[in-house]
Amino acid sequence: MTEEKETPEESPVASDEEMVKVHAELHREKPPPTMGFLHAPLVFVFLFGCLVFFCSIQLANSTNKFQLHPPEDLVKLSPEEKAALKLERKAESGKKIFAIRCASCHQLNGQGLPNMFPPLAGSEWATSDPGLITKIILNGLKGKIEVKGETWGLVPAQNMIPVPISDREIANVTTYVRQAWGNSASEITEQQVSDFRAESSGQTEQWTGEQLRALYPSGISDK
Amino acid sequence: MKDTAEQVIDRSAKTVVSFFVASAGLWLLAAALLAYVAAAKLTDPFFLSSCEFLTYGKVKVAQANAFVYGWGGNSIFAATLWILARLSQVEVRGRVMLLFSGVLWNLAISFGLLGILDGHMNAHEMLEMPTVVWPVLFISYAIIAFLALVIHRSRKHNDTIAPQWFILASLIWFPALFLIAWNGLEINPARGTLPSVLSLWFGQSLIWLWLTPMALGAAYYIIPTILGRAIDKYYLAIFGFWCIAALAPWSVVHHLEGGPVPMWIPAIGTVMSIAMIFPIAVASTNFHATAFKDIDKVWNNLPLRFVIFGTISYTLSSYIGVIFSLPDVAKLTQFSIINEFHFNQRVYGFFSMIIFGVVYHMLPHITGKEISKGAKSFHFWTSAFGVLILLLAYLIGGLTHGVLAQQPSLDWSSSVISSVQPYFKITKYAFIILGFSQLVFVINVWKVIFPNPFACCLASSSERKGKTA
Repeated sequence: MTEEKETPEESPVASDEEMVKVHAELHREKPPPTMGFLHAPLVFVFLFGCLVFFCSIQLANSTNKFQLHPPEDLVKLSPEEKAALKLERKAESGKKIFAIRCASCHQLNGQGLPNMFPPLAGSEWATSDPGLITKIILNGLKGKIEVKGETWGLVPAQNMIPVPISDREIANVTTYVRQAWGNSASEITEQQVSDFRAESSGQTEQWTGEQLRALYPSGISDK
Repeated sequence: MKDTAEQVIDRSAKTVVSFFVASAGLWLLAAALLAYVAAAKLTDPFFLSSCEFLTYGKVKVAQANAFVYGWGGNSIFAATLWILARLSQVEVRGRVMLLFSGVLWNLAISFGLLGILDGHMNAHEMLEMPTVVWPVLFISYAIIAFLALVIHRSRKHNDTIAPQWFILASLIWFPALFLIAWNGLEINPARGTLPSVLSLWFGQSLIWLWLTPMALGAAYYIIPTILGRAIDKYYLAIFGFWCIAALAPWSVVHHLEGGPVPMWIPAIGTVMSIAMIFPIAVASTNFHATAFKDIDKVWNNLPLRFVIFGTISYTLSSYIGVIFSLPDVAKLTQFSIINEFHFNQRVYGFFSMIIFGVVYHMLPHITGKEISKGAKSFHFWTSAFGVLILLLAYLIGGLTHGVLAQQPSLDWSSSVISSVQPYFKITKYAFIILGFSQLVFVINVWKVIFPNPFACCLASSSERKGKTA
């Protein structure tokens, strides 16, 4: 490979001027037809047809009708993903309701106010039985209660009045409270709330701590 | 003895073309050095790790920019001016302006690269140089392009031929691409997915509509000139030209396959890539049907051998590109180092090889001095060897990378990275070979362009010796 014939690299046979002329001439004249001239174009037309066919199929299959968004089955969620998304949205809605209805006493961080309103973060009243927190929201609460080792509700000003919101809103806000600030209790559904509403239809006054303790003996530890 | 018209043209082009070729050579070396640093960092993360301005992300980008704008830009100017002047049979005029714009272009790129290394990078593909640099680059390009168009406008014959179409197209398409991308990214920034699509489109189109037509035009000029015969099946060339013009800007978006863009964008890209088979086949037929009629001469004539290596590489790489644009294949290779294969195949295997041939053909005409055949031959074999090793490593490594990355059960660092790493080592050595070969090229070129400063001393001393003897 290293031994190559020395050939002059200079002197192109045609000058540039000639080259322009020759090619311009070639461009004007069609090449003379040969014996097989019919076949080659036919083969090309056939190949080109195949290509157009293939490309059309490709376009039709993969463009999703030129929509901006990908097709359903590509973005469809599995049942678990759907449930997780639903829970997330529920908690988001609950957070808004909490900010409007509850945070004025219990505070946005769920810690309550010392000597005034009991905390929800880490409170058994909020996180034990779904019925407990739901019924308190439905009918309110009065009198003394024990939360996290302290006694609350010493004066009537600290009583809780019923919160007039729909079953769905109660389900959202209780779910939020039960899963925020380190709480990790179960979700509460709209159906459960409406059941509890039916159960407590006989209760016309606010609940007292003793009543609820009797209803849910396992929910509140005795201290 | 009266000079022929061609000698007059060559003399008029001498200063300007020499300037562009010489600076292109320097950029080539700079790019080779940066390429080595980037490749070495992939195998040894502690290599130069104490230099903040030489982190991988910066070096890699600086290398691509030095290569495309420094080496590509300068060599495109040189080849464009000379080939257009030769084909139009007109002298190169406005030489002072050309030199001035050339200096401006090179200064702007230098500042741009320093800006990249200093951390002032733009986030758009192949537009990474800092924003302030671009108006200067654009103005200097516009001046050079305008003077090249003046040469073409005052041509002796009204007819134009294939090399002129391709070279003029590349001359005009670059500013057009730049203005579209710059408008959509910087002047009136688009929102949503459009900027990322535009950025990719510019980076890829730059290679398809600026470097590629230039190299094709040069091949259309060099092959018939050296062989002394007309292009075979020349009537197809016009079809190939318009196919590239119409399809290439559409086909590049197939690189977005699987990306967060509307699905029709990569789908159209795939379809248009497949249709690119036609222009590729046309160019390949034109070049190779002509060249293989006189294969001995192709083999023995080094400039032509470089050019034919480039055209074969063009044909192969483009067909491989078509295969990799198919969605089923792209699924495997999309997020692997296969992209490096595409880039290097285009700019080293195709564009650079043809430009080497053009320079070796052009310089003896312009300067009247020969480059030694052994040096050229050495350059050819090291280049060809280096390019082959580099591309094979990227191709096989890319396929390995893509296939392994598809299996989520594999541990990433212990199995995927460790099986790709040997290929990175190979590319490091390939870049060393290529850098060495490019050094030989630059020495060849500079020796011819700049007369040996010691030549006069040697001559005078030998004269003195002769006198004393």
